[in-house]
Amino acid sequence: MNSELYLSVVFWVIPIYLTAFALYSVRAVKGPTIPDSVLAIDSMSYDLAAFITILSILFHSPILIAVAMVLALWVFALDIYVAKYLESREMGE
Amino acid sequence: MIELSTLTYLFMAMTGVVSLVATYLAILESNLIKAVVLSAIQSTTYVILFYLLMAPDIALVYIPVSVGLYPAAVLFLIKKTERTENDSNEVVASED
Amino acid sequence: MVEELINEILMAAGTLMIVVGAIADLTGSIGLLRFPNFFVRLHAATVGTIWGAFVPLIGAALFAAGYVELGTHRWFVTGGAAVTALLILLLGPVGSHALARASYRSKAAIPYPLIHDALKEKFREGGKE
Repeated sequence: MNSELYLSVVFWVIPIYLTAFALYSVRAVKGPTIPDSVLAIDSMSYDLAAFITILSILFHSPILIAVAMVLALWVFALDIYVAKYLESREMGE
Repeated sequence: MIELSTLTYLFMAMTGVVSLVATYLAILESNLIKAVVLSAIQSTTYVILFYLLMAPDIALVYIPVSVGLYPAAVLFLIKKTERTENDSNEVVASED
Repeated sequence: MVEELINEILMAAGTLMIVVGAIADLTGSIGLLRFPNFFVRLHAATVGTIWGAFVPLIGAALFAAGYVELGTHRWFVTGGAAVTALLILLLGPVGSHALARASYRSKAAIPYPLIHDALKEKFREGGKE
């Protein structure tokens, strides 16, 4: 059973994710319009849910996985709030 | 050979810097919707910090309040009032 | 013996899916940073959501199912990752579509390299009749 090999491969995946989060954060902070920022936060949080799952395997602590589900659900709620606000502002109440 | 704790501390530093930048821009922003979105960025980075500091119970309470309920309440309030922040301090009374 | 082989296959498949997801995630973030306007960035964001979040979550579920050192709690990781993957598969496209519809109808994002707008003509025809 050479689980060390697979664990080292998964370990070297972490810097790729960190680079991706840095790029998402740049777009979320400097986004020219409001939907750009919300879209960047949306994508970043969904990828963060995947990254949290991988980290909870690498930390050997399975109880940390419950954050991923809650994060995915509530970021969708943020998305719907902003969409509803944008639509009701121009189209009338 | 890099250890796992080194990458964890690097991730913590990155999220701390991003949350500081987002908070500073949210204070300076005059468009209130953009300020709400920037505070959502700050909430997401704080969730990462709570997770990496091994406090998933606090993260589980912090996510619904600061990502879900707080932008909903503030967006509802902004819809009832004005969209941009005025420099003048006079109260804009809407009689109708 | 057979169980060890099954665990090995599960961990190999999970590692492959996690690596594919990481590369797709980097691609999606570069696209989100470099594309010119909002409606083109939706494409990169969808790549980053489905290929960058759904695929590595399924991979993490398979990896945790085969990783015996986690103990009995590895089934908790497997179930949680599978449920999160299903949620993202359902919620990600719905959120992107709602945001695109709202930002087109409220003109919050202007598609500037635009040659022919068929949706606007459709709205206008629908409004007349």
